[in-house]
Amino acid sequence: MKQWVEQFNGRMDAWGRKLHEKEIRIPIDLVTGLAFAIFALAILLVMPDQVAISEKDVVNGRAFPTLLMMVMLLCCAMLIGKELYKLATKQPLNWKVINIQVEAKALAILGILLGTYFLSKWTGLFVVGAVFCCLGFLLYFRCRKKSYYVITLVIAVAIWAAFRFVLGVEF
Amino acid sequence: MLQYIAPATGLLFTLENILWINIGVFIGSVFAAIPGLSVILCVILFLPVTYSMTAIPGMMFLLGIYCAGGYGGSVSAILINTPGTPHAAATMLDGHPLSERGRTKAALKIALYASTFGGISSALMLLFLGPQVARVAAQLGTAEYFMVCVFGLTIIAGVSGKSMIKGLISACLGLLISCVGSDPMTSYDRFTFGISRLYLGLDLAVCLIGLFALVEIMSKAEKRLDRLNLDTTQIKDDGIITKEEYKRMARPMLLSSLIGVMVGIIPGTGASEASWFSYNTAKNMSKHPEEFGHGSVEGIAAAEAANNAVTGATLIPLLTLGIPGDGTVAIMLSALMINGLNPGLTLFTTQGNIMYAIMLGLILVNIFMLLQGKFLTRLFAKVVSIPQEILTPIIVIFCFAGAYSVNENFFDVGVALIFGMLAWILRKLELPPVPILLGLVLGSMTETNFRRALLISNGNPKIFFSSVYCIIFLVLILLAVGTIVRGKMKERSTQKEA
Repeated sequence: MKQWVEQFNGRMDAWGRKLHEKEIRIPIDLVTGLAFAIFALAILLVMPDQVAISEKDVVNGRAFPTLLMMVMLLCCAMLIGKELYKLATKQPLNWKVINIQVEAKALAILGILLGTYFLSKWTGLFVVGAVFCCLGFLLYFRCRKKSYYVITLVIAVAIWAAFRFVLGVEF
Repeated sequence: MLQYIAPATGLLFTLENILWINIGVFIGSVFAAIPGLSVILCVILFLPVTYSMTAIPGMMFLLGIYCAGGYGGSVSAILINTPGTPHAAATMLDGHPLSERGRTKAALKIALYASTFGGISSALMLLFLGPQVARVAAQLGTAEYFMVCVFGLTIIAGVSGKSMIKGLISACLGLLISCVGSDPMTSYDRFTFGISRLYLGLDLAVCLIGLFALVEIMSKAEKRLDRLNLDTTQIKDDGIITKEEYKRMARPMLLSSLIGVMVGIIPGTGASEASWFSYNTAKNMSKHPEEFGHGSVEGIAAAEAANNAVTGATLIPLLTLGIPGDGTVAIMLSALMINGLNPGLTLFTTQGNIMYAIMLGLILVNIFMLLQGKFLTRLFAKVVSIPQEILTPIIVIFCFAGAYSVNENFFDVGVALIFGMLAWILRKLELPPVPILLGLVLGSMTETNFRRALLISNGNPKIFFSSVYCIIFLVLILLAVGTIVRGKMKERSTQKEA
């Protein structure tokens, strides 16, 4: 078992080193501007379906979200305009470096979170999800101290018990 | 004011309130003492707990966390040269050197006394200044209130991130999310996409758990696992502060409390700005400026008094105008509104007893912070070295339990997870989350006042420029935008030169 764990860790380390070298550079302001411009336009597009109004209203329920999306579009136009100006004048753009290893680790954490959620939901027992969460994170951190496993599991069950029996939350 | 003091005292001094204050102070101190955990995260995690409470114990609990967070951050700053919270960075400059000279307990005591002094000064200022500002606020109409909301959102959007434009995009996103659910004026559903559970809107606590707490968990991917090996036996000095040192502490404490209050009243500025500004002022005014950075008692006192003096002051614009001074008090505003307490003069008149109980309670919070700090310092110090392996899953369990407990269903946990993923993407796009929080909190108030004002004027937008107060706020918005943009441009040119 110990050997298997060592082998697994070794593989993960080698994989991590490979991923660590891989990076993606994105023109962050340009991407943000474009993404939110599309988002604002999409909201404006779905507005008639999603916000019912009465013809009699002087100011209806669409007025405020429309105003917000207009402000958002204006901000996006400014962001895109600023970056295009930089491109035209050959000034450096605002770049963001995305490290693939970091994103892979974030996905692993998201996996633990989703696992906790679905286990709790499917079993209807929050405590099952809580135990999975503890084990998941301790394995993620490659914790070898047995005492940490015991402490974390005890606290997890204690939190569930506090919500269940002290605060009266049914789960 | 005096007519409210006696009944408010009666409402405040109950066993339940005292208990919640102490629990809040303890949790706040512990959270702030651990580097990487913030006060805002703590308030978000425990916000669902207050849903079942009435206004006074709920607010006392949250204020306990908020105030003690100001002091708790200094514990790790002094002990391990790592500030538990960003605003304790100035304390670290002199706190840790004093600790290294074998005076750890004395450094912690100075920080505690200064924090308490700053906190009580701020609470008194709130008690006397709050009702006066509320009187002015009472003269504001719907159009003026809309301008106040825009003012608050603009400032927070401007100071929260590197770019004001991105801050505004975040604020718009927050305001849009607040539109989900039934229309506050007509009750027609909006942006529910056929999901019946969305009819009542998205719960603030659930959204914040995702936006601030779960994203912090995901950000563990970006950090290395640091080990903080703390030997708590290093707190072995007698902790005696000499008469001479008390004398030297007095002036910076007084001055820093004033600075903290003034900084705290201005929305968007916070404890970090106050503590650095006070630290520099104390250094410039000191007879021993050479001691600063080498364990000066004046330095610790100045930084700590200022960052706690902000706590009560940020509540002044919050309780009178509904403008939260920072993210943490924005959450408190929602806790108030859940109990039907809306900011403004009525809060100080019709609900005066409750309001004065909360304001007086802030003094009590600081007293209990002093007592806990005096007797539990060694425990807070031990907490600093809790390993991340234990802390991380516990926070996740708290997040999930908190989200579930709001409506006792897993739908909310799913919403929190979606907001966590959204926050991760926003972080990658360098969009600040605090304006989203403010948008979520102020959304309903902003929209209602916007639409009411337009209804009054029969759809004419001139109403937003029709009164003296509207014009004052418009000038303030333009001034704030100008100052922020100028500051950012200066910052960029300094960076380019460097």
